[in-house]
Amino acid sequence: MTVSANASGVAPKLVPPRRLSWSEWSDRHFKWLLAAPATLLIVALSIFPLLFSLWVVFVNYDFQVPGHAFKGLGNFEEVISDPVARWSLVVTAILTTGSVFVEFVLGLALALAMMKTFRGRGVIMSLVIIPLFISPVIVGQAWALLLQRPFGPTNYILSQIVGYDVTVSWLTQTPWNFLALIVADAWQWTPFMFVILLAGLTAIPPNLYEAAELDGVDGWQAFWSITVPLLAPMMLLAITLRTLDALKLFDIIFIMTGGGPGTTTYSASYYLYTVGFTQFHLSMATAGSWIFLVLTAIVITFLVRRLLKPAAA
Amino acid sequence: MNERQRRDFEAGLSQEVDAWLRGDYSRREFITKFGKLTGMLALSGTALSPLTSLALAQAAVDLADPSTPLGAAQAAAMAASTEGPADGSAFRAVEAAKQHSGAMLNMTYEVGLQALDPRNFSGPLWEQLTGIQSNVVELPLPDVYAKAVAEHIAGSGAYDVLDILPAWLPSLADGGVIAPLDDYIAQYMNTADLDDYHPLYKALPTYKGKTWGFFDDGDMFALYYRRDVFEDPALMEAYQTQFGKPLEVPKTWEDYAQVAQFITDQLAPNVYGAAHFRKAGSPGNQFDFMQQYRANGGVLFDDAMKAQLASDAGVRTLTNMVAANTASMPGNNELDAVAVWAAWLQGKVAMIYSWPPTGRMTAGYSQSDKAINFVPQSTIADKVGYAVVPGNPQHAAGFHKALAADSANPEAAYLFMQWACSPPVSLARCMLPYALRDPYRISHFKSELYGQLFPTANEYLANLNASANVGLLDIIMPGSQDYYLSLDRMCTDVWAGADPMTALQTAAAEWDTTTERLGVESQKAFYQEFLKLPGATADNTIEKLGMAVTL
Repeated sequence: MTVSANASGVAPKLVPPRRLSWSEWSDRHFKWLLAAPATLLIVALSIFPLLFSLWVVFVNYDFQVPGHAFKGLGNFEEVISDPVARWSLVVTAILTTGSVFVEFVLGLALALAMMKTFRGRGVIMSLVIIPLFISPVIVGQAWALLLQRPFGPTNYILSQIVGYDVTVSWLTQTPWNFLALIVADAWQWTPFMFVILLAGLTAIPPNLYEAAELDGVDGWQAFWSITVPLLAPMMLLAITLRTLDALKLFDIIFIMTGGGPGTTTYSASYYLYTVGFTQFHLSMATAGSWIFLVLTAIVITFLVRRLLKPAAA
Repeated sequence: MNERQRRDFEAGLSQEVDAWLRGDYSRREFITKFGKLTGMLALSGTALSPLTSLALAQAAVDLADPSTPLGAAQAAAMAASTEGPADGSAFRAVEAAKQHSGAMLNMTYEVGLQALDPRNFSGPLWEQLTGIQSNVVELPLPDVYAKAVAEHIAGSGAYDVLDILPAWLPSLADGGVIAPLDDYIAQYMNTADLDDYHPLYKALPTYKGKTWGFFDDGDMFALYYRRDVFEDPALMEAYQTQFGKPLEVPKTWEDYAQVAQFITDQLAPNVYGAAHFRKAGSPGNQFDFMQQYRANGGVLFDDAMKAQLASDAGVRTLTNMVAANTASMPGNNELDAVAVWAAWLQGKVAMIYSWPPTGRMTAGYSQSDKAINFVPQSTIADKVGYAVVPGNPQHAAGFHKALAADSANPEAAYLFMQWACSPPVSLARCMLPYALRDPYRISHFKSELYGQLFPTANEYLANLNASANVGLLDIIMPGSQDYYLSLDRMCTDVWAGADPMTALQTAAAEWDTTTERLGVESQKAFYQEFLKLPGATADNTIEKLGMAVTL
């Protein structure tokens, strides 16, 4: 029911509401109809599990223990007091830093190389990005086959190169197992860095380099004074995206080292998987996931703020 | 689109175009009909075709040539199912199951080779005999447990028959995920079939006085060795000279490491003394540690349920395992079970201990099926002997068939289990070349047909039976996967150079954490139940209990 008043302040006259026709109703609410499927999907697949996980972390949700007794913060305490959980954070930091650094350096070098025109450039660029389209599980399996003793050819090839017997256990000996994981990850994801940085490089106006050349600036100076400052936002974007992904590293660890020897190569994701799906302690795994989410959010927030700074300027 | 589909489509399209040109249809009718025609074709090509193929794949029974031992075993299984004897479990199951014709049974299996039997043989044959269809749900091993529990919590009734590890049985039974079978057994089974189980396996599906499944896979470790190496006169003489005793198949773990080292020293790089699956999660470390630890007198828990791993027996076990690693082929610590088989079959190794498919692969029988073509052909088929693992071999994993408590067709599901595990049908299933189901019934070990599968099959069967007589069981209690994961971590840590006692202490601390998490008193009760089983410790093996089976 609506109320209308005249200018002289006479008592308002009640006007009965007009019934909306179907077409008017649908016109007015069409936007909601369009948004409904996506909203329902998000609610069902993200919001509900998120809220459910908030309940799970405070109870004992373990496939081996009947019932769901209230545990308060007990699940968080179990994760924090677990030395394997703490070590998995160290492993995650080492692997993330190592792989993102290697990928960045190689990706930048490749992108700089591909800025020059030369015969076969198109073919090489196509070949370089192929690893991006391969499942990480396949990548892990391929590298495991290459590195595994005694059947993998790596030690044999290295022995031929260096002239003496190489007997490195790439998958079970520290630090070689870390190196193997970083190499496998870098092989797959360097092209990602390359593509983003190449896009950034092509956006730098060539006249800047021409002007620098006229001023007698050499290539190295031009790189530090023109390329790096102008490419910095893209560098930060590429590093942020890769860091976000590398923090979740799981597949190649699962295939190549199985987290071993011992728990040496347990990343945070691998630890959470093991607790949740090998040991079936779902509450503990969920509590660990929340802790990991908070830590990840801190790192990513820092990177995103850095990313937004140059844009604001 | 195949040739036939293309021809049908073109013929149909031609008819429609002709009719339209004749003026039989309006343009709208023509477009509608054309759309339906092309839509049906697309559907038949993309959606229906895989479904049809799947249905056909499930419906076709994969039978061997009747003149072969496998074919004869399959014919015998068929006869037992259709002709009797009338009091046989297979016959009674089939007759009773016919009333459920048209039902669908959802059965979980470990993904991969384990699922080939129900897909190619037992599932389609059961459908042919009873009209009951089967849907094989393949899952990674941890999911076989986790999904069964999750579906039970959800009350979905998603599964009817569960293929579970014996170690999971107490948790699943107490959790109400599986149902006891005693009433069905009383109604339908010829209980003489229960006595046909090897005594080590007979008691395995029992818990708190009830029967919760049918044991269905004799996963007994055994030692496989190269007779040509052990009978080499030059090696025998050299060993006698070096150690003052004859070269023979080792009977203690110390001898095992010593013999392996001797062979490596003498024959490497052509042949190495041994190879083991030592890779993290391979799986193998926990099984191997358990069999050696208990053979060395190790105790798992004390009366207060405190882990006893950090002991002299633990140090002795790990020290000897490291010695065996050193004596083995290069890269030993990175091998998984399949890699060990590959090295063994290619003649690079003089001894391995592993699961029973090793014998069938060694003889080249398994590789006769393309499903096993990822394993190399055997180069040592006529050079191999069988022996019991030093001390007490581990029964490593195994499977039960269990009835899902939420099954919509519990009787049909039970009857399938009874039929599949009955003596004649289970024999035919164990003899499938691609099977990972290993002999477990006394009638399997005595089977003349199985004995004809390859030249040394009778020796192989006799050795599996002898191994079961002195075999040890996995830990059967909640948390078994936690306890085993700790052992795997401990072992791989030691392989990488960690101090054995420190690693044992870490593992013991993890065991205690697991026990406390699951409840000390509750775990104590489960452990006491486990200790009642024959084969739970080296002091109560089948042989020591006076129940050894002689063939």
